[in-house]
Amino acid sequence: MNDRTSDPSLAEATRTKISVRGLDFYYNASHALKNVQFDVPEGKVTAIIGPSGCGKSTLLRVFNRIYSNYAGLRATGQVLLDGENILADSYSLNRLRTRVGMVFQKAVPFPLSIYENVAYGLRHHVKLPRVQLEERVEVALREAALWSEVKDKLQSSALSLSGGQQQRLCIARAIALRPQVLLLDEPTSALDPIATGRIEELLNQLQRDYTIVIVTHNMQQAARVSSYTAYMLLGELMEFGATAELFTRPKKRQTEDYITGRFG
Amino acid sequence: MTLAARGPRYRRRRATDLIAKVLGVAATLFGLFFLAWILLVSLRNGVHALNLQTFLQATPSPGGQGGLANALFGSLVMSAIGVAIGAPLGVAAGTYLSEFAERQPALRETVRFVNDILLSAPSIVLGLFIYTLAVRTVGHFSGWAGGIALALIVLPVVVRTTDETLRLVPNVMREAALSLGIPRWKVTIQVLYRAAAPGILTGILLGLARISGETAPLLFTALNNQYWAENLNGPTASVPVVIFQFAMSPYDTWHDLAWAGAFIVTVFVLLLSVGTRAYLLRNRMDSAG
Repeated sequence: MNDRTSDPSLAEATRTKISVRGLDFYYNASHALKNVQFDVPEGKVTAIIGPSGCGKSTLLRVFNRIYSNYAGLRATGQVLLDGENILADSYSLNRLRTRVGMVFQKAVPFPLSIYENVAYGLRHHVKLPRVQLEERVEVALREAALWSEVKDKLQSSALSLSGGQQQRLCIARAIALRPQVLLLDEPTSALDPIATGRIEELLNQLQRDYTIVIVTHNMQQAARVSSYTAYMLLGELMEFGATAELFTRPKKRQTEDYITGRFG
Repeated sequence: MTLAARGPRYRRRRATDLIAKVLGVAATLFGLFFLAWILLVSLRNGVHALNLQTFLQATPSPGGQGGLANALFGSLVMSAIGVAIGAPLGVAAGTYLSEFAERQPALRETVRFVNDILLSAPSIVLGLFIYTLAVRTVGHFSGWAGGIALALIVLPVVVRTTDETLRLVPNVMREAALSLGIPRWKVTIQVLYRAAAPGILTGILLGLARISGETAPLLFTALNNQYWAENLNGPTASVPVVIFQFAMSPYDTWHDLAWAGAFIVTVFVLLLSVGTRAYLLRNRMDSAG
Protein backbone atom coordinates (compact mmCIF):
# COMPACT_ATOMS: atom_id res chain seq x y z
CA MET A 1 0.00 0.00 0.00
CA ASN A 2 0.93 3.60 -0.30
CA ASP A 3 3.71 4.43 2.13
CA ARG A 4 2.67 8.06 2.40
CA THR A 5 -0.50 7.13 4.20
CA SER A 6 1.31 5.04 6.75
CA ASP A 7 2.77 8.22 8.14
CA PRO A 8 -0.16 9.84 9.94
CA SER A 9 1.53 13.22 10.35
CA LEU A 10 1.84 13.56 6.59
CA ALA A 11 -1.72 12.47 6.09
CA GLU A 12 -2.88 15.05 8.60
CA ALA A 13 -1.05 17.78 6.78
CA THR A 14 -2.98 17.41 3.53
CA ARG A 15 -5.40 20.13 2.55
CA THR A 16 -9.03 19.40 1.88
CA LYS A 17 -10.02 19.73 -1.78
CA ILE A 18 -13.66 18.76 -1.71
CA SER A 19 -15.71 19.04 1.42
CA VAL A 20 -19.04 17.22 1.42
CA ARG A 21 -21.51 18.56 3.97
CA GLY A 22 -24.93 17.07 4.67
CA LEU A 23 -25.39 15.85 1.10
CA ASP A 24 -28.69 14.24 0.20
CA PHE A 25 -29.58 13.00 -3.24
CA TYR A 26 -32.92 12.03 -4.73
CA TYR A 27 -33.93 10.15 -7.85
CA ASN A 28 -37.47 11.48 -7.97
CA ALA A 29 -38.85 10.13 -4.68
CA SER A 30 -36.11 7.64 -3.93
CA HIS A 31 -33.53 8.82 -1.44
CA ALA A 32 -30.18 7.71 -2.88
CA LEU A 33 -27.67 9.53 -0.68
CA LYS A 34 -28.36 10.18 2.97
CA ASN A 35 -26.57 12.97 4.78
CA VAL A 36 -23.14 12.17 3.36
CA GLN A 37 -20.31 14.04 4.97
CA PHE A 38 -16.56 13.71 4.40
CA ASP A 39 -13.50 15.54 3.10
CA VAL A 40 -11.57 14.60 -0.03
CA PRO A 41 -7.91 15.44 0.55
CA GLU A 42 -5.98 17.32 -2.11
CA GLY A 43 -3.38 15.58 -4.25
CA LYS A 44 -4.37 12.07 -3.20
CA VAL A 45 -6.34 9.20 -4.62
CA THR A 46 -9.59 8.70 -2.74
CA ALA A 47 -11.51 5.51 -3.48
CA ILE A 48 -15.24 5.06 -2.99
CA ILE A 49 -16.20 1.43 -2.49
CA GLY A 50 -19.37 -0.40 -1.62
CA PRO A 51 -21.83 -2.95 -2.97
CA SER A 52 -23.90 -2.31 -6.11
CA GLY A 53 -26.58 0.30 -5.65
CA CYS A 54 -24.97 1.83 -2.57
CA GLY A 55 -24.77 5.25 -4.19
CA LYS A 56 -21.05 5.40 -4.93
CA SER A 57 -21.48 6.40 -8.57
CA THR A 58 -24.26 8.79 -7.61
CA LEU A 59 -21.91 10.49 -5.18
CA LEU A 60 -19.22 10.82 -7.84
CA ARG A 61 -21.70 12.24 -10.31
CA VAL A 62 -22.59 15.00 -7.87
CA PHE A 63 -19.00 16.26 -7.92
CA ASN A 64 -19.30 17.62 -11.48
CA ARG A 65 -23.10 17.94 -11.46
CA ILE A 66 -23.39 15.67 -14.45
CA TYR A 67 -26.62 14.37 -12.88
CA SER A 68 -28.22 17.75 -13.61
CA ASN A 69 -28.79 16.73 -17.25
CA TYR A 70 -31.62 14.54 -16.15
CA ALA A 71 -35.08 15.49 -15.00
CA GLY A 72 -36.12 14.45 -11.52
CA LEU A 73 -32.62 14.25 -10.02
CA ARG A 74 -31.90 16.55 -7.10
CA ALA A 75 -29.05 17.14 -4.66
CA THR A 76 -29.33 19.12 -1.44
CA GLY A 77 -26.66 20.05 1.06
CA GLN A 78 -23.23 21.37 0.28
CA VAL A 79 -20.27 20.21 -1.76
CA LEU A 80 -17.46 22.68 -1.29
CA LEU A 81 -14.69 22.77 -3.87
CA ASP A 82 -11.90 24.90 -2.41
CA GLY A 83 -14.50 26.31 -0.03
CA GLU A 84 -17.10 27.22 -2.68
CA ASN A 85 -20.41 25.40 -2.91
CA ILE A 86 -20.60 23.81 -6.36
CA LEU A 87 -24.29 22.95 -5.87
CA ALA A 88 -25.15 26.65 -5.76
CA ASP A 89 -26.82 27.95 -8.93
CA SER A 90 -24.27 30.74 -9.01
CA TYR A 91 -21.46 28.22 -9.57
CA SER A 92 -21.44 27.91 -13.34
CA LEU A 93 -21.29 24.47 -14.94
CA ASN A 94 -18.66 25.77 -17.30
CA ARG A 95 -16.38 26.77 -14.43
CA LEU A 96 -17.06 23.58 -12.49
CA ARG A 97 -16.32 21.28 -15.39
CA THR A 98 -13.04 22.92 -16.28
CA ARG A 99 -11.99 22.26 -12.68
CA VAL A 100 -13.43 18.78 -12.34
CA GLY A 101 -12.82 16.25 -15.11
CA MET A 102 -14.48 12.87 -15.44
CA VAL A 103 -13.66 9.44 -16.88
CA PHE A 104 -16.39 6.85 -17.28
CA GLN A 105 -16.68 3.11 -16.95
CA LYS A 106 -17.03 2.59 -20.66
CA ALA A 107 -14.32 4.21 -22.74
CA VAL A 108 -16.19 6.10 -25.42
CA PRO A 109 -13.92 8.18 -27.63
CA PHE A 110 -15.66 10.81 -29.75
CA PRO A 111 -15.95 9.80 -33.41
CA LEU A 112 -12.99 12.04 -34.21
CA SER A 113 -9.26 11.55 -34.69
CA ILE A 114 -7.03 10.78 -31.72
CA TYR A 115 -5.68 14.33 -31.84
CA GLU A 116 -9.11 15.94 -32.04
CA ASN A 117 -10.39 13.87 -29.12
CA VAL A 118 -7.80 15.45 -26.85
CA ALA A 119 -8.00 18.89 -28.43
CA TYR A 120 -11.80 19.03 -28.31
CA GLY A 121 -12.22 20.49 -24.84
CA LEU A 122 -9.27 22.84 -25.30
CA ARG A 123 -10.68 24.26 -28.52
CA HIS A 124 -13.86 25.20 -26.71
CA HIS A 125 -12.36 26.73 -23.58
CA VAL A 126 -9.13 28.37 -24.68
CA LYS A 127 -8.22 29.86 -28.01
CA LEU A 128 -4.69 28.66 -28.53
CA PRO A 129 -2.41 29.10 -31.50
CA ARG A 130 -1.86 25.84 -33.36
CA VAL A 131 1.60 25.17 -32.00
CA GLN A 132 0.51 25.62 -28.41
CA LEU A 133 -2.56 23.47 -28.95
CA GLU A 134 -0.34 20.72 -30.33
CA GLU A 135 1.87 21.05 -27.28
CA ARG A 136 -1.05 20.78 -24.88
CA VAL A 137 -2.34 17.70 -26.69
CA GLU A 138 1.10 16.10 -26.54
CA VAL A 139 1.48 16.86 -22.83
CA ALA A 140 -1.95 15.39 -22.08
CA LEU A 141 -1.16 12.26 -24.08
CA ARG A 142 2.20 11.92 -22.33
CA GLU A 143 0.58 12.34 -18.93
CA ALA A 144 -1.91 9.65 -19.86
CA ALA A 145 1.02 7.38 -20.87
CA LEU A 146 -0.34 7.07 -24.38
CA TRP A 147 1.97 9.35 -26.38
CA SER A 148 4.53 6.75 -27.45
CA GLU A 149 1.77 4.48 -28.76
CA VAL A 150 -0.12 7.07 -30.80
CA LYS A 151 2.40 9.76 -31.77
CA ASP A 152 2.67 8.44 -35.32
CA LYS A 153 -1.06 8.14 -35.91
CA LEU A 154 -2.60 11.19 -34.29
CA GLN A 155 -4.89 11.71 -37.26
CA SER A 156 -6.31 8.18 -37.26
CA SER A 157 -9.73 7.51 -35.83
CA ALA A 158 -9.77 7.10 -32.08
CA LEU A 159 -12.00 4.07 -32.61
CA SER A 160 -9.01 2.18 -34.01
CA LEU A 161 -7.38 2.03 -30.56
CA SER A 162 -7.65 -0.95 -28.20
CA GLY A 163 -9.96 -0.81 -25.18
CA GLY A 164 -7.16 0.03 -22.76
CA GLN A 165 -5.78 2.68 -25.10
CA GLN A 166 -9.24 4.16 -25.54
CA GLN A 167 -9.60 4.49 -21.78
CA ARG A 168 -6.20 6.22 -21.52
CA LEU A 169 -7.32 8.49 -24.35
CA CYS A 170 -10.39 9.37 -22.29
CA ILE A 171 -8.08 10.20 -19.40
CA ALA A 172 -5.93 12.36 -21.71
CA ARG A 173 -9.08 14.07 -22.96
CA ALA A 174 -10.13 14.88 -19.40
CA ILE A 175 -6.72 16.08 -18.17
CA ALA A 176 -6.02 18.17 -21.28
CA LEU A 177 -8.11 20.90 -19.65
CA ARG A 178 -5.84 20.71 -16.59
CA PRO A 179 -8.62 20.16 -14.10
CA GLN A 180 -7.85 20.15 -10.40
CA VAL A 181 -9.96 17.10 -9.68
CA LEU A 182 -10.27 13.94 -11.76
CA LEU A 183 -13.29 11.71 -11.21
CA LEU A 184 -13.13 8.10 -12.39
CA ASP A 185 -16.22 5.89 -12.41
CA GLU A 186 -15.06 2.26 -12.44
CA PRO A 187 -12.52 3.07 -15.15
CA THR A 188 -11.05 -0.42 -15.41
CA SER A 189 -14.07 -2.67 -15.03
CA ALA A 190 -14.19 -3.32 -18.77
CA LEU A 191 -10.44 -3.83 -19.16
CA ASP A 192 -8.15 -6.85 -18.96
CA PRO A 193 -5.64 -7.14 -16.07
CA ILE A 194 -2.71 -5.73 -18.06
CA ALA A 195 -4.60 -2.66 -19.24
CA THR A 196 -5.94 -2.28 -15.69
CA GLY A 197 -2.40 -2.37 -14.32
CA ARG A 198 -1.34 0.42 -16.67
CA ILE A 199 -4.23 2.63 -15.63
CA GLU A 200 -3.50 2.03 -11.94
CA GLU A 201 0.16 2.93 -12.49
CA LEU A 202 -1.02 6.03 -14.27
CA LEU A 203 -3.25 7.07 -11.37
CA ASN A 204 -0.29 6.78 -9.07
CA GLN A 205 1.62 9.28 -11.21
CA LEU A 206 -1.34 11.57 -11.78
CA GLN A 207 -2.01 12.14 -8.07
CA ARG A 208 0.99 14.47 -7.97
CA ASP A 209 -0.95 16.98 -10.04
CA TYR A 210 -4.57 16.05 -9.53
CA THR A 211 -6.93 15.21 -6.74
CA ILE A 212 -8.37 11.88 -7.81
CA VAL A 213 -11.65 10.31 -6.76
CA ILE A 214 -12.21 6.79 -8.06
CA VAL A 215 -15.29 4.63 -7.73
CA THR A 216 -14.47 0.96 -7.85
CA HIS A 217 -16.23 -2.29 -7.06
CA ASN A 218 -12.85 -3.94 -6.78
CA MET A 219 -11.54 -3.74 -3.22
CA GLN A 220 -8.05 -4.87 -4.17
CA GLN A 221 -7.92 -2.00 -6.60
CA ALA A 222 -9.01 0.47 -3.93
CA ALA A 223 -6.31 -0.91 -1.65
CA ARG A 224 -3.68 -0.68 -4.40
CA VAL A 225 -4.31 2.79 -5.73
CA SER A 226 -5.86 4.91 -3.01
CA SER A 227 -4.62 6.75 0.05
CA TYR A 228 -8.12 7.25 1.43
CA THR A 229 -11.21 5.12 1.13
CA ALA A 230 -14.88 5.82 1.65
CA TYR A 231 -17.14 2.83 2.23
CA MET A 232 -20.76 3.34 1.29
CA LEU A 233 -23.77 1.21 2.08
CA LEU A 234 -27.41 1.85 1.12
CA GLY A 235 -26.81 5.52 0.42
CA GLU A 236 -24.95 6.20 3.63
CA LEU A 237 -21.28 6.79 4.14
CA MET A 238 -20.41 4.04 6.62
CA GLU A 239 -16.77 4.81 7.08
CA PHE A 240 -14.11 7.09 5.70
CA GLY A 241 -10.42 7.05 6.50
CA ALA A 242 -6.89 6.29 5.40
CA THR A 243 -7.01 3.23 3.15
CA ALA A 244 -4.47 1.32 5.27
CA GLU A 245 -6.56 1.94 8.36
CA LEU A 246 -9.90 1.11 6.79
CA PHE A 247 -8.70 -2.15 5.32
CA THR A 248 -6.76 -3.38 8.35
CA ARG A 249 -8.64 -1.90 11.29
CA PRO A 250 -12.15 -0.99 10.15
CA LYS A 251 -14.07 0.86 12.81
CA LYS A 252 -17.47 -0.45 11.84
CA ARG A 253 -18.78 -3.95 11.73
CA GLN A 254 -20.44 -3.44 8.31
CA THR A 255 -17.15 -2.28 6.78
CA GLU A 256 -15.38 -5.32 8.12
CA ASP A 257 -18.09 -7.61 6.77
CA TYR A 258 -17.75 -6.06 3.33
CA ILE A 259 -13.98 -6.00 3.04
CA THR A 260 -13.62 -9.52 4.36
CA GLY A 261 -16.08 -10.69 1.75
CA ARG A 262 -18.80 -11.80 4.13
CA PHE A 263 -21.22 -9.53 2.35
CA GLY A 264 -21.54 -7.73 -0.95
CA MET B 1 -27.87 -39.10 -31.49
CA THR B 2 -29.92 -40.10 -28.46
CA LEU B 3 -32.62 -42.74 -28.47
CA ALA B 4 -35.37 -40.15 -28.13
CA ALA B 5 -34.00 -38.31 -31.13
CA ARG B 6 -34.82 -41.23 -33.39
CA GLY B 7 -38.35 -41.62 -32.03
CA PRO B 8 -41.65 -40.51 -33.56
CA ARG B 9 -41.57 -37.18 -31.72
CA TYR B 10 -38.31 -36.36 -33.35
CA ARG B 11 -39.63 -37.26 -36.76
CA ARG B 12 -42.71 -35.13 -36.18
CA ARG B 13 -40.51 -32.18 -35.21
CA ARG B 14 -38.43 -32.71 -38.32
CA ALA B 15 -41.58 -32.75 -40.43
CA THR B 16 -42.91 -29.55 -38.82
CA ASP B 17 -39.55 -27.94 -39.38
CA LEU B 18 -39.57 -28.94 -43.03
CA ILE B 19 -43.12 -27.63 -43.57
CA ALA B 20 -42.22 -24.30 -41.94
CA LYS B 21 -39.11 -24.01 -44.09
CA VAL B 22 -40.98 -24.81 -47.29
CA LEU B 23 -43.73 -22.30 -46.46
CA GLY B 24 -41.14 -19.64 -45.59
CA VAL B 25 -39.19 -20.15 -48.79
CA ALA B 26 -42.39 -20.22 -50.83
CA ALA B 27 -43.58 -16.94 -49.34
CA THR B 28 -40.20 -15.36 -50.05
CA LEU B 29 -40.19 -16.62 -53.63
CA PHE B 30 -43.77 -15.41 -54.10
CA GLY B 31 -42.73 -11.88 -53.14
CA LEU B 32 -39.50 -11.99 -55.10
CA PHE B 33 -41.29 -13.33 -58.16
CA PHE B 34 -43.41 -10.21 -58.52
CA LEU B 35 -40.48 -7.93 -57.78
CA ALA B 36 -38.41 -9.69 -60.44
CA TRP B 37 -41.34 -9.56 -62.85
CA ILE B 38 -41.80 -5.81 -62.35
CA LEU B 39 -38.08 -5.18 -62.69
CA LEU B 40 -37.76 -7.34 -65.80
CA VAL B 41 -40.76 -5.86 -67.59
CA SER B 42 -39.80 -2.28 -66.84
CA LEU B 43 -36.24 -3.10 -67.82
CA ARG B 44 -37.23 -4.64 -71.15
CA ASN B 45 -39.78 -2.01 -72.13
CA GLY B 46 -37.87 0.83 -70.52
CA VAL B 47 -34.52 0.18 -72.15
CA HIS B 48 -36.28 -0.32 -75.44
CA ALA B 49 -37.96 3.09 -75.15
CA LEU B 50 -34.93 4.87 -73.77
CA ASN B 51 -32.73 7.02 -75.99
CA LEU B 52 -30.91 10.33 -75.93
CA GLN B 53 -34.05 12.23 -76.89
CA THR B 54 -35.68 11.07 -73.67
CA PHE B 55 -33.28 13.26 -71.73
CA LEU B 56 -33.14 16.21 -74.13
CA GLN B 57 -36.66 16.87 -75.37
CA ALA B 58 -39.83 17.93 -73.64
CA THR B 59 -42.94 15.76 -73.53
CA PRO B 60 -44.60 15.55 -76.99
CA SER B 61 -48.11 16.37 -78.07
CA PRO B 62 -50.44 13.37 -78.51
CA GLY B 63 -48.87 10.89 -80.89
CA GLY B 64 -45.74 13.00 -81.46
CA GLN B 65 -42.10 12.33 -80.75
CA GLY B 66 -40.37 13.73 -77.74
CA GLY B 67 -38.72 13.03 -74.41
CA LEU B 68 -39.10 13.48 -70.70
CA ALA B 69 -36.62 16.30 -70.11
CA ASN B 70 -39.16 18.74 -68.63
CA ALA B 71 -40.63 16.05 -66.40
CA LEU B 72 -37.20 14.89 -65.22
CA PHE B 73 -36.21 18.46 -64.47
CA GLY B 74 -39.49 19.15 -62.71
CA SER B 75 -39.12 16.02 -60.60
CA LEU B 76 -35.55 16.95 -59.75
CA VAL B 77 -36.42 20.48 -58.70
CA MET B 78 -39.53 19.56 -56.73
CA SER B 79 -37.74 16.69 -54.97
CA ALA B 80 -34.92 19.11 -54.15
CA ILE B 81 -37.43 21.55 -52.66
CA GLY B 82 -39.00 18.69 -50.71
CA VAL B 83 -35.66 17.62 -49.25
CA ALA B 84 -34.49 21.21 -48.73
CA ILE B 85 -37.55 21.95 -46.60
CA GLY B 86 -38.20 18.54 -45.08
CA ALA B 87 -34.67 17.49 -44.13
CA PRO B 88 -33.57 20.49 -42.00
CA LEU B 89 -36.95 20.66 -40.25
CA GLY B 90 -36.89 16.92 -39.72
CA VAL B 91 -33.35 16.87 -38.35
CA ALA B 92 -34.19 19.78 -36.04
CA ALA B 93 -37.38 18.14 -34.77
CA GLY B 94 -35.70 14.75 -34.36
CA THR B 95 -32.87 16.41 -32.43
CA TYR B 96 -35.37 18.11 -30.17
CA LEU B 97 -37.14 14.83 -29.47
CA SER B 98 -33.98 12.93 -28.68
CA GLU B 99 -31.83 15.57 -27.01
CA PHE B 100 -33.84 18.46 -25.65
CA ALA B 101 -37.27 17.13 -24.68
CA GLU B 102 -36.14 15.39 -21.47
CA ARG B 103 -38.07 17.81 -19.32
CA GLN B 104 -41.23 17.82 -21.46
CA PRO B 105 -42.01 14.09 -21.69
CA ALA B 106 -45.71 14.64 -22.45
CA LEU B 107 -44.96 16.98 -25.34
CA ARG B 108 -42.23 14.65 -26.60
CA GLU B 109 -44.48 11.61 -26.71
CA THR B 110 -47.26 13.62 -28.34
CA VAL B 111 -44.93 14.86 -31.07
CA ARG B 112 -43.62 11.32 -31.64
CA PHE B 113 -47.18 10.02 -31.91
CA VAL B 114 -48.32 12.77 -34.27
CA ASN B 115 -45.20 12.26 -36.37
CA ASP B 116 -46.01 8.56 -36.70
CA ILE B 117 -49.47 9.50 -37.92
CA LEU B 118 -47.96 11.86 -40.49
CA LEU B 119 -45.57 9.09 -41.50
CA SER B 120 -48.44 6.78 -42.35
CA ALA B 121 -50.80 9.42 -43.72
CA PRO B 122 -51.91 8.60 -47.29
CA SER B 123 -49.91 10.84 -49.61
CA ILE B 124 -53.05 11.84 -51.47
CA VAL B 125 -54.35 13.41 -48.28
CA LEU B 126 -51.14 15.42 -47.95
CA GLY B 127 -51.60 16.50 -51.57
CA LEU B 128 -55.15 17.67 -50.89
CA PHE B 129 -53.99 19.49 -47.78
CA ILE B 130 -51.37 21.46 -49.72
CA TYR B 131 -53.92 21.99 -52.49
CA THR B 132 -56.16 23.79 -50.02
CA LEU B 133 -53.25 25.62 -48.47
CA ALA B 134 -51.03 26.62 -51.38
CA VAL B 135 -53.04 26.13 -54.58
CA ARG B 136 -56.54 27.40 -53.82
CA THR B 137 -55.24 30.40 -51.93
CA VAL B 138 -53.09 31.61 -54.82
CA GLY B 139 -55.51 30.44 -57.49
CA HIS B 140 -53.18 28.26 -59.58
CA PHE B 141 -51.12 25.08 -59.51
CA SER B 142 -47.39 25.51 -58.96
CA GLY B 143 -44.10 23.67 -58.65
CA TRP B 144 -43.67 25.26 -55.25
CA ALA B 145 -46.86 23.65 -54.00
CA GLY B 146 -45.58 20.31 -55.36
CA GLY B 147 -42.28 20.71 -53.54
CA ILE B 148 -44.05 21.59 -50.29
CA ALA B 149 -46.33 18.56 -50.59
CA LEU B 150 -43.25 16.36 -51.07
CA ALA B 151 -41.61 18.03 -48.06
CA LEU B 152 -44.51 16.81 -45.93
CA ILE B 153 -43.61 13.26 -46.92
CA VAL B 154 -39.88 13.69 -46.27
CA LEU B 155 -40.41 15.40 -42.92
CA PRO B 156 -41.75 12.53 -40.78
CA VAL B 157 -39.24 10.06 -42.24
CA VAL B 158 -36.33 12.31 -41.28
CA VAL B 159 -37.81 13.15 -37.85
CA ARG B 160 -38.10 9.49 -37.02
CA THR B 161 -34.69 8.37 -38.27
CA THR B 162 -32.91 11.34 -36.65
CA ASP B 163 -34.67 10.74 -33.34
CA GLU B 164 -33.93 7.02 -33.43
CA THR B 165 -30.32 7.29 -34.54
CA LEU B 166 -29.49 9.91 -31.93
CA ARG B 167 -31.07 7.76 -29.24
CA LEU B 168 -28.70 4.96 -30.28
CA VAL B 169 -25.66 7.10 -29.46
CA PRO B 170 -24.40 5.84 -26.09
CA ASN B 171 -25.25 8.16 -23.24
CA VAL B 172 -21.67 8.05 -22.03
CA MET B 173 -20.64 9.97 -25.12
CA ARG B 174 -22.99 12.82 -24.18
CA GLU B 175 -21.82 12.77 -20.59
CA ALA B 176 -18.15 12.66 -21.56
CA ALA B 177 -18.55 15.69 -23.81
CA LEU B 178 -20.70 17.57 -21.31
CA SER B 179 -18.23 16.82 -18.52
CA LEU B 180 -15.63 18.75 -20.53
CA GLY B 181 -17.80 21.80 -19.90
CA ILE B 182 -19.04 21.99 -23.47
CA PRO B 183 -22.60 23.27 -23.85
CA ARG B 184 -25.34 20.92 -24.90
CA TRP B 185 -26.01 22.42 -28.34
CA LYS B 186 -22.32 22.24 -29.24
CA VAL B 187 -22.07 18.64 -28.03
CA THR B 188 -25.09 17.79 -30.17
CA ILE B 189 -23.74 19.38 -33.33
CA GLN B 190 -20.07 18.48 -33.03
CA VAL B 191 -20.14 15.08 -31.37
CA LEU B 192 -23.57 13.48 -31.56
CA TYR B 193 -24.32 14.45 -35.17
CA ARG B 194 -20.98 13.02 -36.17
CA ALA B 195 -21.73 9.77 -34.40
CA ALA B 196 -25.22 9.63 -35.88
CA ALA B 197 -24.36 10.99 -39.35
CA PRO B 198 -24.73 7.72 -41.29
CA GLY B 199 -28.18 7.12 -39.82
CA ILE B 200 -29.40 10.67 -40.35
CA LEU B 201 -28.13 10.69 -43.93
CA THR B 202 -29.83 7.36 -44.56
CA GLY B 203 -33.11 8.85 -43.36
CA ILE B 204 -32.80 11.78 -45.73
CA LEU B 205 -31.94 9.54 -48.68
CA LEU B 206 -34.80 7.18 -47.90
CA GLY B 207 -37.08 10.19 -47.79
CA LEU B 208 -35.77 11.24 -51.19
CA ALA B 209 -36.30 7.72 -52.54
CA ARG B 210 -39.87 7.80 -51.30
CA ILE B 211 -40.81 11.10 -52.90
CA SER B 212 -39.17 10.46 -56.27
CA GLY B 213 -41.94 8.05 -57.18
CA GLU B 214 -44.86 9.89 -55.55
CA THR B 215 -47.71 10.81 -57.85
CA ALA B 216 -50.69 11.56 -55.64
CA PRO B 217 -49.36 14.64 -53.81
CA LEU B 218 -48.27 16.19 -57.12
CA LEU B 219 -51.60 15.68 -58.93
CA PHE B 220 -53.29 18.38 -56.87
CA THR B 221 -50.35 20.69 -56.48
CA ALA B 222 -47.92 20.80 -59.40
CA LEU B 223 -50.43 19.21 -61.78
CA ASN B 224 -48.53 18.65 -65.00
CA ASN B 225 -47.15 20.61 -67.89
CA GLN B 226 -46.53 19.46 -71.41
CA TYR B 227 -43.88 22.13 -71.88
CA TRP B 228 -40.96 23.51 -69.97
CA ALA B 229 -42.21 25.44 -66.99
CA GLU B 230 -40.88 28.98 -67.11
CA ASN B 231 -40.69 29.07 -63.36
CA LEU B 232 -42.07 27.24 -60.37
CA ASN B 233 -45.09 29.54 -60.13
CA GLY B 234 -47.00 27.57 -62.72
CA PRO B 235 -47.94 23.94 -63.32
CA THR B 236 -44.81 21.79 -63.41
CA ALA B 237 -44.28 18.38 -65.00
CA SER B 238 -42.94 15.46 -63.02
CA VAL B 239 -42.01 11.94 -64.06
CA PRO B 240 -44.62 10.06 -61.98
CA VAL B 241 -47.50 12.26 -63.15
CA VAL B 242 -46.32 11.98 -66.77
CA ILE B 243 -46.22 8.20 -66.39
CA PHE B 244 -49.75 8.30 -65.01
CA GLN B 245 -51.01 10.45 -67.88
CA PHE B 246 -49.11 8.73 -70.70
CA ALA B 247 -49.76 5.16 -69.59
CA MET B 248 -53.52 5.80 -69.64
CA SER B 249 -53.38 7.32 -73.13
CA PRO B 250 -54.06 5.53 -76.43
CA TYR B 251 -50.81 6.66 -78.11
CA ASP B 252 -47.86 4.29 -78.61
CA THR B 253 -45.19 7.01 -78.39
CA TRP B 254 -46.66 8.10 -75.05
CA HIS B 255 -46.68 4.49 -73.85
CA ASP B 256 -43.00 4.19 -74.69
CA LEU B 257 -42.21 7.37 -72.78
CA ALA B 258 -44.19 6.09 -69.80
CA TRP B 259 -42.07 2.93 -69.85
CA ALA B 260 -38.90 4.97 -70.09
CA GLY B 261 -40.02 7.12 -67.15
CA ALA B 262 -40.95 4.08 -65.08
CA PHE B 263 -37.56 2.57 -65.81
CA ILE B 264 -35.68 5.75 -64.85
CA VAL B 265 -37.58 6.16 -61.57
CA THR B 266 -37.17 2.48 -60.67
CA VAL B 267 -33.44 2.49 -61.33
CA PHE B 268 -32.99 5.77 -59.44
CA VAL B 269 -34.85 4.55 -56.36
CA LEU B 270 -33.14 1.16 -56.52
CA LEU B 271 -29.65 2.67 -56.73
CA LEU B 272 -30.47 5.15 -54.01
CA SER B 273 -31.67 2.58 -51.53
CA VAL B 274 -29.05 -0.03 -52.37
CA GLY B 275 -26.33 2.64 -52.27
CA THR B 276 -27.60 3.95 -48.94
CA ARG B 277 -27.61 0.51 -47.42
CA ALA B 278 -24.12 -0.26 -48.73
CA TYR B 279 -22.87 3.04 -47.30
CA LEU B 280 -24.47 2.32 -43.95
CA LEU B 281 -23.05 -1.19 -43.87
CA ARG B 282 -19.54 -0.05 -44.69
CA ASN B 283 -19.80 2.61 -42.02
CA ARG B 284 -20.91 0.09 -39.41
CA MET B 285 -17.99 -2.15 -40.27
CA ASP B 286 -15.63 0.78 -40.03
CA SER B 287 -16.71 1.63 -36.52
CA ALA B 288 -16.69 -2.01 -35.50
CA GLY B 289 -13.18 -2.61 -36.82
